[in-house]
Amino acid sequence: MFEPKRLHPITAVLSFFKQLKELFFPFMVFIFLGTRDNEGISSFVLVIGATGILLLLLIKGILSWYRFTYRIEDNELRIEYGLFVTKKRYIPFERIQSLDLSEGILHRPFQLVKVKVETAGSNGIEDAEGVLTAIKKEEAEAIQEIFAASKRMQKDKGLNETEIQVEDNIIYQATPKELFILASTSGGVGVVISAVLAFIFQFEEIIPYERVFKGLEEFVTSGLVFVSLVLFVGFLFAWIIALIATMIKYANFTVRKVGEDLVITRGLLERRQFTIPIKRIQAIRISENIVRQPIGYATVIVESAGGSSVNEESSKVVLLPVIKKSKIQALIEPFLTEYLFTDDFKTVPRRSFIRYLFRGWIYVIPLIIIPILIFKLWGLLSSILFLLVSSIWSYLKYKDAGWDIQQLQLSLRYRTLVKHTVFMKRYKIQSFSFRESYFQRKKKLATVEASVKSGLGGTGGTVIDLNKEDVLEIYKWYSSERRLSPTETNLDTETK
Amino acid sequence: MVSEPKNRISERALTVWRISGSIQTLFMLLFSGGMIGLTVKFEWPNWIIWIAILLLIAYAYLIIYLFPSLKWKRWRYEVREQEIELQRGIFIITRTLVPMVRVQHVDTQQGPLLRKYKLATVTVSTAATIHEIPALELEEAEEIRLFISRLARVADEDV
Repeated sequence: MFEPKRLHPITAVLSFFKQLKELFFPFMVFIFLGTRDNEGISSFVLVIGATGILLLLLIKGILSWYRFTYRIEDNELRIEYGLFVTKKRYIPFERIQSLDLSEGILHRPFQLVKVKVETAGSNGIEDAEGVLTAIKKEEAEAIQEIFAASKRMQKDKGLNETEIQVEDNIIYQATPKELFILASTSGGVGVVISAVLAFIFQFEEIIPYERVFKGLEEFVTSGLVFVSLVLFVGFLFAWIIALIATMIKYANFTVRKVGEDLVITRGLLERRQFTIPIKRIQAIRISENIVRQPIGYATVIVESAGGSSVNEESSKVVLLPVIKKSKIQALIEPFLTEYLFTDDFKTVPRRSFIRYLFRGWIYVIPLIIIPILIFKLWGLLSSILFLLVSSIWSYLKYKDAGWDIQQLQLSLRYRTLVKHTVFMKRYKIQSFSFRESYFQRKKKLATVEASVKSGLGGTGGTVIDLNKEDVLEIYKWYSSERRLSPTETNLDTETK
Repeated sequence: MVSEPKNRISERALTVWRISGSIQTLFMLLFSGGMIGLTVKFEWPNWIIWIAILLLIAYAYLIIYLFPSLKWKRWRYEVREQEIELQRGIFIITRTLVPMVRVQHVDTQQGPLLRKYKLATVTVSTAATIHEIPALELEEAEEIRLFISRLARVADEDV
């Protein structure tokens, strides 16, 4: 373990592909621009240039693989790399929050994994973490073992040196039915369709438009039924592709509790593993999108303080991608014992409804006026439709807005397009604000906002137009010095 | 009812805001002047000139006179043992609480205008948010910075 080691040679190939991917669009632009005016660069020069660049990339990949070594020494992970300037990065084990493993398609045949070292959100420093792009599985397991051992040592300093058995319990495993629901209700379809469109427009010049349009004319005249059928089949196809893609991405979704960490694994072709130390969880969010809500399903997201500027995704981790809402409590409570998943919310007062309604209308006013001006009567009809949709949406927002306090927990519920319920502990809330406009003040209403840490930035919840008295109650609950009974203050001095 | 935070910011803040408002008005003047020039040159209808002048006057009135006064009247802060409380806003009043235990660091900063008037802005950062108390007397800002940084550390050791 102590002698410097290289990564698996496949790293060179991986970094070559990665750079190729980054160069794809500039490359395309270059080629299209080159071919546009014939007197410019000849295609021969183009081909030479392209091969030259590819070759350079390949050499660069190989060299940087050759220069990259890692070793474990003195309870530190020591990485040395750099093409021209040698860089050394030593990461002490006690600063490491977690080791995340993932396997890409190229990793699988060689029994390799990618190891990502997560450090405690080192503020703002760019790529302040280590990535071992491809190492042998046994090797990764050995590193994990050493890391876990040193972590245990830190913990029982002073205590007996007894080997503590690390519990490893499976908490949740996605069933095929849940996977199907997840895939069929996710927004992936839109992504596929827009990707196809974008791809088509990339080759705009190659498409013989005249011929296509002539064909299109014949096509349209062949009957409305046929056209809509083709469109329908097209959408169905896109939907199926999105379905399969999502199912592959989330296949074998498993949540385990290993010691004090939550370990999430998922994926069929590319296997990924996330580790979230439970004590770094800042808030829990339950999101119900518009398709899932009616069938009683929701997504549970964990806001974690981990993650660095490079790795945004480790701050918002999907804990349960799709789950029957009624099951959430029973599933999560055993291991996130601090959180109470109530559904008993105090709602906004009735006098706020008119404000919710008007706020919605403000956005649709241009959409209402323009059709009337242009299309007259038909425009009026579409305007009424817009107004109706906006009103229904506003009503939902009004109905969903709410708050609740249970001992040291603040729960906020609000709707954007998706209905969010955020559960926050008092000692994890970084700051709390309420605000009131002139009109709100007249109606004795106010808006509240609580912020928690998420990755490098903040997130949280905002509920509009709550009863002013309720708002002041939350304010007093959050304040250490403005509250009536000072006895509780001892409970919440714990920091994150 | 929760009472307002105790302290106001420096009265010289008003002067500073009025000066920076005047500088912003200069840009508006440029725009209005341009509009009027174009109208005269291309013989556009005369009402454009009047609107441009009216806009300029309204803008100057708001940004040099009204907004700074309202803003100053509303701005209040209080730094206590366990938390910082802020109140601000012109039309929408915002009240914020930042517990001392959550404070990660505190800065004071001065632009050229603030420096001329011996003022400084105090910035308090938590892990998720950044809060600003603008235009405090220099000594006061310094004092607050030391006070907060000391308390923030004490709170941390307490855990």
